[in-house]
Amino acid sequence: MFIGLTGYNHESSAALVDIDGNLIDFYKEELLSRVKGDKSFPKRSLKRILEMNNLDISKIIEITFYERPLSAYITILQTSGKNMPKSLPLISHQCRNFNKSSVACYLDIAKTYPGLEKKLSYCDHHLSHTLTSLAYSPKQNEICSVVVDGFGDRSTTSISLVHNHHNIVELWSCPYPFSIGLFYSAITDFLGFQVNEGEYKVMGLSSFGNENSEIAKKVSQLIKWDDNKNKIIQDMSFFKYHVDPEVSFSQELVNYLGNPRNPFKQLLPDDDDFQHYADIAKGAQLAVVKILRSIFSYAYQLTNCNDFLFSGGVAMNSASLDELASLDFIKNIFIPPSPGDSGSAIGAAYYSYLKSNFDKDIFLSKPSLFPSKFNSNNQRKLASKIIESNYKIIAKDKKSILKKSADLISKGEIIGVIIGNSEIGPRALGNRSLICDGTNKNAVNFLNTKIKKRSPFRPTAPVMQESVARKYFVVRDELIECYKTMSATAQCKKESESLNFPTTHIDKTARIQIIEKDHLLYNLLDELKNYNIEILANSSLNLSGDPTSFDLIDTFMISSRSPLKYIIADFALLESIK
Amino acid sequence: MKNKKLSKEKENIRILNVLLETACAEFGSALEMLIACKGADSVNIANGYFQHAKDEYNHTNTFLSILSKYGKKSPAKISRKYRFNTNSVITKGYVSTDGYLIETMSIKDFIAYVYTNELLAKESFDGILKLLKPHSDEGIQISKIMDDELRHHGLAEKYFLKYYPRLQPWQLMCYRLRETVMNRGRKFYDKNLKFLDKVLTPLYFFIAYLVGKVLKFIDMNEFDRKGKNLMDIKSKSVI
Repeated sequence: MFIGLTGYNHESSAALVDIDGNLIDFYKEELLSRVKGDKSFPKRSLKRILEMNNLDISKIIEITFYERPLSAYITILQTSGKNMPKSLPLISHQCRNFNKSSVACYLDIAKTYPGLEKKLSYCDHHLSHTLTSLAYSPKQNEICSVVVDGFGDRSTTSISLVHNHHNIVELWSCPYPFSIGLFYSAITDFLGFQVNEGEYKVMGLSSFGNENSEIAKKVSQLIKWDDNKNKIIQDMSFFKYHVDPEVSFSQELVNYLGNPRNPFKQLLPDDDDFQHYADIAKGAQLAVVKILRSIFSYAYQLTNCNDFLFSGGVAMNSASLDELASLDFIKNIFIPPSPGDSGSAIGAAYYSYLKSNFDKDIFLSKPSLFPSKFNSNNQRKLASKIIESNYKIIAKDKKSILKKSADLISKGEIIGVIIGNSEIGPRALGNRSLICDGTNKNAVNFLNTKIKKRSPFRPTAPVMQESVARKYFVVRDELIECYKTMSATAQCKKESESLNFPTTHIDKTARIQIIEKDHLLYNLLDELKNYNIEILANSSLNLSGDPTSFDLIDTFMISSRSPLKYIIADFALLESIK
Repeated sequence: MKNKKLSKEKENIRILNVLLETACAEFGSALEMLIACKGADSVNIANGYFQHAKDEYNHTNTFLSILSKYGKKSPAKISRKYRFNTNSVITKGYVSTDGYLIETMSIKDFIAYVYTNELLAKESFDGILKLLKPHSDEGIQISKIMDDELRHHGLAEKYFLKYYPRLQPWQLMCYRLRETVMNRGRKFYDKNLKFLDKVLTPLYFFIAYLVGKVLKFIDMNEFDRKGKNLMDIKSKSVI
């Protein structure tokens, strides 16, 4: 068995791959600790992996950490060293937090499971991303991998050519501190949202922006691609993330764009300053899309490949995918369901699997989209008093659950779904979801603002069967795999009804999910045909600021803290009696 | 006039700080109770912890909404420092990096901890109430939270005596005294750490300056990956 670990920088996680190269188990630490974006050493994930699979450390062949910790540590310090004395706060912070950085990985493993540290190995950060994408890709040889994130262990963006699983050659990289991910995070910070959490809010906000506005143009000039030298150019005087641990943008950026947004003031479309901030978000989005197009064009120039793996945190920018896929040389883009750091625990586990099978031809079988093991029967008994005091069971067998749920949805109700194992990525794909009629404006609005308490400008994704997606949206075959994991937006067809769906964003796009045949939501959509409902709105099963629900108790907590009345669990459809 | 404005700003910062810390503490408690619920050994206890966790989540929301009210009054430059981030419950120490209390303590100690800390929380809310004025809208909300804390304290005591009936009231007093001393100790440590931090900053910067200078001499180009097969790089290398 092989274990992959991530942590210390972003969401930490652990993955388990067996000796036949199958992903057996995976947990994000936040699911278990209930702290959103938990980046501490993933001890709960590691413990659960060992317990759920009846393993002791003697059965672990190797444990791989997803980056080279000293490289990451020194690269940041060295860059800061070039910017002294401005960077003294960051260097001081780095030195004082040495034991909290990924360098402590070895000691943390030794403390948690003595002896396991002897089996520890390290994989390059961007290679971990590449291997995660490769595992989910139907094509695994002669394919180009583009990784774009905030910061890896030496670079921020890279292009590699995957000849086969044992031969992955890096062809180009962008050195820290020039970074598309950190640029986007700095703008996120400027717009008053939390770094590493609010980036998707910026993406949603950008749809309201005017690309011809002066301010959008100004922002889009902050980071560029140099066509002659094939490199990213960024004027670092506007940013501080490379010199200060507290602030990511400088006073120059404030002088250039005006005051940053007060994070406590709610951003509403009717507010006076809404358009100003939406235009800033638009500028950032334009810059990212433009630069990604240049990087993919350069990747094509270097590799002559038409198929691409795309990963790293920036690959979660689903709004850029439709434009990228329009590049004429692109045949397919494959994005793993968890392209950020947490998903790269899978790549790290595959790394040691591949290393130990270096002499074999390998094809990795596609891992599950729902690998985080959970069996509701185990917790149902413990939660029986909670269920008894707060819910009544209104349907028990699958057929009546589907029938009753369809009826409720047609009446505008919202249902929480907690079935089977949990999703791998940040997007709810139907096992941990809040769903309602995707064409009912009031229901979608209630889900968005009353249950989840999200900003009204943020869209909710629609889920549908493939035939329905092709009826209403411009479905690109290049992105067909991405639609299954909600990784890309699609344009509404001209003069289509979908333009008026509440799940359609202001820019006439939607982050569609095409549901696969064996899923409960597919069957529910079949049942909903009796009510002429073809689309469900699908949002993650959580309240704003919390991680997605992992188990029954988390779900009951959501229901008790919000107006959510109905829950589909593996064993029943429950109605709250509060 | 300028002085008055400055002192008002200072007061606002103080309130923001207190509200943020309290929201973090309440959120930390909510998580502790939620995890305790999942690890409970009986359905009744699980239900009890569940209700307790729900109350603590609601308290967090109350403090966050008051924080938001005060945050709006401050300039963005200041208020952005007081944004609530769930991860800060770990970095600020409200949840230990070693794990949740139920994961690291005996059940007896855990109940004693809840029993005494609910009372200590109530005491610290007295201070917040004075700061925000008791008859204000916020004051009324906090009074309700204080009632909840007293109720939790009572329930914990009942639970404690039910499961450990041989425990005498004086032993409960000892638990309470121990927690009070530890709580004061934590506050003293935190306050002095902040003070020490200020005093030692020039020294930290001097060390940082030396580190920055020394690192300039390390040549990282040797570890450049361009043109290399990434699968061939030594897997035991940390660089």
